[in-house]
Amino acid sequence: MRRNRVLPIAALLVAVLLLAQTTETVAQTPKQVQQFKQKLRQQEVRKKLRELQKAKEAARKAKAQANEKTKAAEKAKAQANEKTKAAEKAKKKPTPEPESTPAPTALTFQPQVPAELTAIPEAQDAAAFAKRIDDQIDAALRNENITPSPICNDEEFLRRVYLDITGVIPTLEQTRKFLDSTDPQKRSLLIDELLADPHYGRHLADQWIPKLYPKESNNRFVLKEPLYNWFQNQFNQNTRWDQFVFDLVTATGTVEDNPAVTYYLANRSVDKLTDTVTQHFLGIQLQCAQCHNHPFTGWKQQEYWGMAAFFSRVVPQNPRNANRGGDNMKIGVTEGTTRTKLRDFFPEATMDVAAKFLGGPEPKIAPREPQRPVLASWMVAGDNPYFARAMVNRTWAQLFGRGFVNPIDDMHPDNPPSHPELLSDMARIFAGSGFDVKFLTKAICLTNTYQRSSRPTAGNENDDIYFSHMTMKVMIPEQLFDSVTRVAGPTLEAVAKNRQEKAQAGKRRPGNGARDQFVTFFLAGSEAASTTEYEAGIPQALRMMNSRLAGSPALARNIAGAFSKPETAIENLYLTTLSRRPTEAETARLTGYITQADNANTAYSDILWALVNSSEFTMVR
Amino acid sequence: MFGSHLLESTRRRFLQLSAAGVGTASLSGWLKALANNPAAAPTQRSRGRVKSVILLWMDGGPSHKDTFDLKPDSKGAGDFRPIATSVPGIEISEHLPQLAKWMHKGTIVRGMSSPEGAHARAKYNLHTGYREGQGGLSYPSIGSIVACEKGSPEASVPNFVSIGTRTYGSGFLGPKYQPLIVTSPSRGVEDLKATVSERQFDNRLGLLGEMEAAFRGQYKADVIVDHKTAYERAVQLMHSQEAKAFDISLEPSAAKSRYGSGNFADSVLMARRLVEVGVPFIEASLGGWDTHQDNWTKVKSNSQQVDAAMSALIADLNERGLLDSTLIIWMGEFGRTPHINTRGAKPGRDHYPKAWSLAMFGGGMAGGRVIGRTDKEGAIVEERKVAPVDFLATVCELMGIDHTRKNETPTGRPVQIVEKPNAFTQEIL
Repeated sequence: MRRNRVLPIAALLVAVLLLAQTTETVAQTPKQVQQFKQKLRQQEVRKKLRELQKAKEAARKAKAQANEKTKAAEKAKAQANEKTKAAEKAKKKPTPEPESTPAPTALTFQPQVPAELTAIPEAQDAAAFAKRIDDQIDAALRNENITPSPICNDEEFLRRVYLDITGVIPTLEQTRKFLDSTDPQKRSLLIDELLADPHYGRHLADQWIPKLYPKESNNRFVLKEPLYNWFQNQFNQNTRWDQFVFDLVTATGTVEDNPAVTYYLANRSVDKLTDTVTQHFLGIQLQCAQCHNHPFTGWKQQEYWGMAAFFSRVVPQNPRNANRGGDNMKIGVTEGTTRTKLRDFFPEATMDVAAKFLGGPEPKIAPREPQRPVLASWMVAGDNPYFARAMVNRTWAQLFGRGFVNPIDDMHPDNPPSHPELLSDMARIFAGSGFDVKFLTKAICLTNTYQRSSRPTAGNENDDIYFSHMTMKVMIPEQLFDSVTRVAGPTLEAVAKNRQEKAQAGKRRPGNGARDQFVTFFLAGSEAASTTEYEAGIPQALRMMNSRLAGSPALARNIAGAFSKPETAIENLYLTTLSRRPTEAETARLTGYITQADNANTAYSDILWALVNSSEFTMVR
Repeated sequence: MFGSHLLESTRRRFLQLSAAGVGTASLSGWLKALANNPAAAPTQRSRGRVKSVILLWMDGGPSHKDTFDLKPDSKGAGDFRPIATSVPGIEISEHLPQLAKWMHKGTIVRGMSSPEGAHARAKYNLHTGYREGQGGLSYPSIGSIVACEKGSPEASVPNFVSIGTRTYGSGFLGPKYQPLIVTSPSRGVEDLKATVSERQFDNRLGLLGEMEAAFRGQYKADVIVDHKTAYERAVQLMHSQEAKAFDISLEPSAAKSRYGSGNFADSVLMARRLVEVGVPFIEASLGGWDTHQDNWTKVKSNSQQVDAAMSALIADLNERGLLDSTLIIWMGEFGRTPHINTRGAKPGRDHYPKAWSLAMFGGGMAGGRVIGRTDKEGAIVEERKVAPVDFLATVCELMGIDHTRKNETPTGRPVQIVEKPNAFTQEIL
């Protein structure tokens, strides 16, 4: 769908107008009509919301003004403290650092979450938060007269939550343990357990790094691993999201001391920095406004370069060929006091304007003061209009295959959310929780909405807006690789992991390990995989079928062979690959297959092959 | 298929060129064509005749002054002598003697001029028409564009095959238009053969089919159908007659030997076999053109490989009646300096994107044409500068692809197939 040719905008407008007046004259599918109606409704809702918001805004302003004074006093105090600290630090280090090593900036992160958000009870209680989400989703479903699918069974839940949170299917033992447990709290306990699993951070790093580290020839000497590991650790430690992003946006120092600077090394031009920061952290596609006023969103070119100005003094060092003696752990990023003089750092279209927050004011920045902390403080504030919403929408989309706003990083007035109030509500609660990503994830996973079956029921098959049933997602290549190696068993899984790490450590360049190669092969040139479209083609299908990945007799024997009874072997094969027990019909059919075969082990390998190649294996149902 | 604006722009360009008073080699050919048949509109009918493209990628950047644009009287002339070709007035390197005999079926573009001078960025630019990293997007290469625009979704062989080389892929068009990569032409397609007997493989497919039907019946998601389609196409390829095109051992040895020996010869041979089964885009590459040192030894040996394989390819396609519908492109990422460097015992030439050459054969072109002209040193394009976008747009037009069409990126940005080109299609048809 999304790769279709672009309809000329004018034609689209005409079609919409015609549709509004004489629906019968325009041949439209019921789905399109439904979507259109929905859009109209959303626009009405938005209007009302805007009016409401205005009233609220006025009230809030009055309150904020009162707060402002107290805040200012606190800030002054904090800054005074900061100075004393810095002075102390300076005393401890009497010798100035050599010029080549960039010094870290003094400005540090300060949480800025309004007390009214922290005070929301749901911000401290995941179950209550989940209920608040369900209530709003259910209200919309009732409103649309759509019957939701029932809650999924344990098998569906188990595989889904493992893949969504840790990016890999459960082992045979983990599967049995969960399915056999009679604890009524077992789903909630499993969510906690998986959020504490180190694979959680890895899965998120797998999704984030391609966005912040573009694969291009300019980056061939930029080390990816430090950034990847930093992301993985931040997510695993559950660093609050506002701090996480603050630290990334203000990153200074060497790769060795502060791996977050890699983001700047991998995006060595002011437009790349502006594009990625607004897109991924604020949910806004600003890049078109680089060269012209944006046709749909109303973003002006001035606005773009106002944001870009915050990065205008960044100086990322050029990485060098490691084979010629460059140590790319020792390079880094500084922020100067004048515009950067680096070659190609400013594109041709550059406008030299004063730094200005997107859709907000021009901050007063002292001439020699670093600019990025000013931007970062504005971005991650609890009342920033974009920041929390962007993360909520993204997290939701990771779990449901689609966000409230789609594409997830293209929020603008003409692309309204499917559930506008819910998105705002969740953003407030997320901010109120102290930007706690694990908390947000847990709350969503606890909802009935998340735990619905992906099997559609009569009447909700065509719904892909109201979350009446779970979206069938396609594994990203990393999930597929990790899951296939997990089927192969702990020994082989460890070997694969070890090889990957060795390859990375040896060359310190991306793309060396088996996992990287597999991912490159399956991504086949595109930057990131879609979870809602099956994008693999002939080469990938051939690899799955005919490499030694699947259907190895030795592996089949490993999984199934220790049991004399075919039924048990079949069950083991299913639990290992699909994380479920076979149905009676499946057991009967496959038992027949095994008994008819000349060699039972060959038959097991056939079953294993079919299971690993099945769409059920490659999907997150 | 082509909007009137295109004809209009071509006409305008012609007028501009005339006004500038450039009535030299490249243009005169076109004028002659008009003169021969004054009633005919500028050969619109011949556009879109090309069904397949074979891109012979000369990796590293071949020296134009030592291949297709010799300057024997220049300061940095080098060691090679020019020889006559089948077209009076067109001369090429003495190490391309067999290819010279096919010049009447070919066009040399001597006006290439491109913006990138580093290998990776230049390759990207020549394959996609865009600068790497431009607008934060990953752009599709010409092979993927052709696969997307002209490929058949039902074809049993993938619509874009890259032999012996990893190349640029489909970018934002997505994995459906990725090349099938044949790492080694003598080994054929990886994973094409089942690891088990045919009978057992059929059993496995039977089991898989049952599982799929049950799962699809319950969950009804589109992605399950797409999975099925991809697998069916892969199995179809495994079983197809067309897959034999990947097996060059089936080629009679006499026919094979004319291509020469080695990876490149095998790749070109496989490319011909793939054209015969209807693959619309094939890329094969020959490395070793980055001749900073020891230029003439290397260029000579490379030229000999090119000469044998390319002339055999042209002859074979001609014999099979496929030459007019197959466009063969010989090119690299840039040319090499017109002067000779002074480093080392065996000097060479360095990267030079400002002026260079590429060659095209077949493709229903009039043949015997030269587009663009460099100065006496081969350093500056004096007439008809051709940018990468101009060249790519011409390839599109020869295939009947509307390059003004816009594809949408995953985030909904419209991106024109080729941006602001000045194609030279009229000048070569």
